[in-house]
Amino acid sequence: MPRREQNLRLLPEVPLNKYHVDGVSANYSVIKHAGREVGRINVLPATVGLTMDVESRDLRGNIVARENWDWRGFKSSQDHFHPDGSVASRTYFNRQGRPVLEEVWMNVNGQLAPSMWELLNYRGHNYRFNTEDQLFLFFLNELISKDDQAILISDRHTLDYVVADVQGAKAKWGYLHGVHTDKPATPGRGHILNVYRTLLQDRADAFDGVFVATPEQQHELQQRFPDMTVRVAPDTTVPTTYDHQAGAQPTVIFVGRFGPDKRPEQAIQMMAQVVQRVPNAQLHLYGYAPDDATLANLNRQINKLGLKDHVIVGAYLSQRDLAHVYATADVIVQTSSSESFGMNLVEAMSYGVPVVTYNVPYGAANLVRNGDNGYVVPDNATKQMAAKVSKLLTDKRDWSAKSAAALAWAREFTYGRDDQVVEGITPINGRWNITQSVASAN
Amino acid sequence: MIFFINSIMQANKSGIEFAQLKRIELFNDHHEDYRLIVRDWDPKLHPVTRAAGVPDDKLINMFEYFQDAMTLPDHPVHLADLDFGVGGTHATEEATRFLVYNAQNQLVARVNFTGDDQVVTSTELFDGFGNLYRVDYYDTRGFRTLEQWYTPDNKIGTEAWLDVHGLPVVEKFYRPDNTGELTATGWRLTDRNDGKVYMFDTVEELTLQFLNDLNAEYWSQEHPNIFVLDRGHVADWGLLHLDRPAYTVNHLHNAHASGQDPMAPIVNNNYEFTLNAINGYDAIVSSTHKQSADVERRYHPTAKLFTIPVGVVPDRLLQAPRIPVSERTFGKMVVFARIAPEKQLDQLTKAFAQIHAAVPAATLDLYGYADNNNNYAAKRAVQRVIDANHLGDAVTFKGYTTDVDTAENDAMLYGLTSNMEALTSPSWKPSPTG
Repeated sequence: MPRREQNLRLLPEVPLNKYHVDGVSANYSVIKHAGREVGRINVLPATVGLTMDVESRDLRGNIVARENWDWRGFKSSQDHFHPDGSVASRTYFNRQGRPVLEEVWMNVNGQLAPSMWELLNYRGHNYRFNTEDQLFLFFLNELISKDDQAILISDRHTLDYVVADVQGAKAKWGYLHGVHTDKPATPGRGHILNVYRTLLQDRADAFDGVFVATPEQQHELQQRFPDMTVRVAPDTTVPTTYDHQAGAQPTVIFVGRFGPDKRPEQAIQMMAQVVQRVPNAQLHLYGYAPDDATLANLNRQINKLGLKDHVIVGAYLSQRDLAHVYATADVIVQTSSSESFGMNLVEAMSYGVPVVTYNVPYGAANLVRNGDNGYVVPDNATKQMAAKVSKLLTDKRDWSAKSAAALAWAREFTYGRDDQVVEGITPINGRWNITQSVASAN
Repeated sequence: MIFFINSIMQANKSGIEFAQLKRIELFNDHHEDYRLIVRDWDPKLHPVTRAAGVPDDKLINMFEYFQDAMTLPDHPVHLADLDFGVGGTHATEEATRFLVYNAQNQLVARVNFTGDDQVVTSTELFDGFGNLYRVDYYDTRGFRTLEQWYTPDNKIGTEAWLDVHGLPVVEKFYRPDNTGELTATGWRLTDRNDGKVYMFDTVEELTLQFLNDLNAEYWSQEHPNIFVLDRGHVADWGLLHLDRPAYTVNHLHNAHASGQDPMAPIVNNNYEFTLNAINGYDAIVSSTHKQSADVERRYHPTAKLFTIPVGVVPDRLLQAPRIPVSERTFGKMVVFARIAPEKQLDQLTKAFAQIHAAVPAATLDLYGYADNNNNYAAKRAVQRVIDANHLGDAVTFKGYTTDVDTAENDAMLYGLTSNMEALTSPSWKPSPTG
């Protein structure tokens, strides 16, 4: 359906001959009757005055009802609340405003939680579910019921057990977007991470096979599960390659979640050594922290190392904003303890940005050849990483060679080329088409 | 349009409802249009109003008006019509309900029914974790009219009245006050025509919106709307705050002060607001000249005073032959009244005790339903007099009856001890029958 921008001042449901609508901040406006708040309109983030939701408030200021608006500008659901202010029920509407689904929050094992979903008059009947996953299974079965060519690829592994139960698919595959063991450096050792156990062990029979991004991960899986069909297909592509632009200062970037597995603190430690050799060097980190404490720790570390003028902890950026970051960066560093691939590195290389990474499974060796499109240093070797980063920032010839090689690598991941990387995956109308690949595996 | 405003219209009617229905008979006789307004929600309303001679298209219940459900075809709901969204259910039957279980014998719903044909009146719905999360009410036409959403500690948190598509259009919310008690804190209305959403603090504010909507919908320059308020609490405030002009009539259906003293400082609580705001209405109607004169003498209102009797004796009764005493039960005394404190039936029973002492064959039949205030105090007071005077065989609680004629035609005497009557319709009704 097309988008219709719903300005909060033009909400048809507000009787403006009875109520005032007062703008309080960029985030919300208040609906008042004779000076008293009877409602509140919250603004869709990153918009000017578009409607996100409309609250109704009682004479004690409690939220008693809330209408949730879809970004596309239609009323998508309405909530009621329990007396403590937590959501009690949500009724979802179709585009005609008719109720189609009801969600209820009641006690489940002593905790308030969603306890029921009921599809209303779906093809003439009601259907009730105790969990959202049961509803999701019903949805997937309905989705493919009239498609005898349907292929399901399970990308989110908390849902593998739902996909496993789907009936009538032509094929079902799991796609690993992360490393699957707690000891990726030692193939065949370590435990399968919990989140992958459904796909790889408990319900493996329900799937036709598994996709991984690298031959190393494929090898590890085949070693453990000799009968499993495991195919390699990188989960990253880039549309094309771009020209690099010189930035104002020598700039190193880190792009990724600030999680413990990504170890951003090691990039900061490394930077302390880089600035001794390259005094105007900058490190920019882009991503989001899993919690406030992590962010506070990073800032504390930056201050402690005296790097306030050299390190910027930036926000999570959209792909469009990241384009500018990549285009003017000189080096991208990767300090993760493991990576199944490395989308960030492929994206950076498409702008001719050389990589300095630890030698960790699985992505590093597949994406970076030491001395070619960047450098690979041993895990945890911040000093060596600092040395290679400094060299790239100061040795123009070396940087140009590595940048050119990075572009060449990235070209292997452009849409027009992935068929060369992985046999059987062909671009159709600019989109990946892996159906032939998964279908042919049957 | 002329609107007659009440809060209720029940099978067990009292004087105000009878007065309205007699007025409707009169209007019908004169081919004058009207609308009977019933404010409170009542899932059993339509059989009562239809039986009382008010067709659905002359009846406007406030909730049904907002629900756009005033005239619906009758499709009473039975167990087999219900879809719980659960496969493989089975039900067991109890006196007035079915218990519905899923294949694992987990309770899915209690289905309450009424009558020999087991028409569903409500469903109590349980989630898969054993929580009662909602009770749905069906009206007699089979329309799912109200959802009561429950809190985890088993109290009603939100009530939602639905339109015919199941969309909430009137919502009532309960939130804790500072003692933790859940009380109604707001009403939310979604207008059925233009989708505007209103928040009201009280049902009186919601009622005002309703009256404004009626006034707009039936607006006519030639025949301005007339609102006749027959039960004060419904709209005595609302009628003073209409958006557009209308002719407002406040009908006194009872003595406005003490029955004995029209100048008594403390007035009938039902009319205290009306009398103090008396000039906010266009007219005040009393059913006797005496009461109109008392109101004039005490309040000197600018509102016009009318005297309109509320009793109408149909031609059928006026022309019926008088029943001779010889054909009546000797010593039979009757009274038609709610067994309520202001009717003072304990005093009537005391008086009857003296009659009974003199004429042992005398009997007293009390027709009317018992007022439940103070745990049926009025009925208990009568019972005490019966017990003290050993009148168990002579005095009978006959309950509510619609067949007044038969009882009156068989009686010799009518007893009236009420301390508050505007015009005692039951007591002068016996006169035509003799």
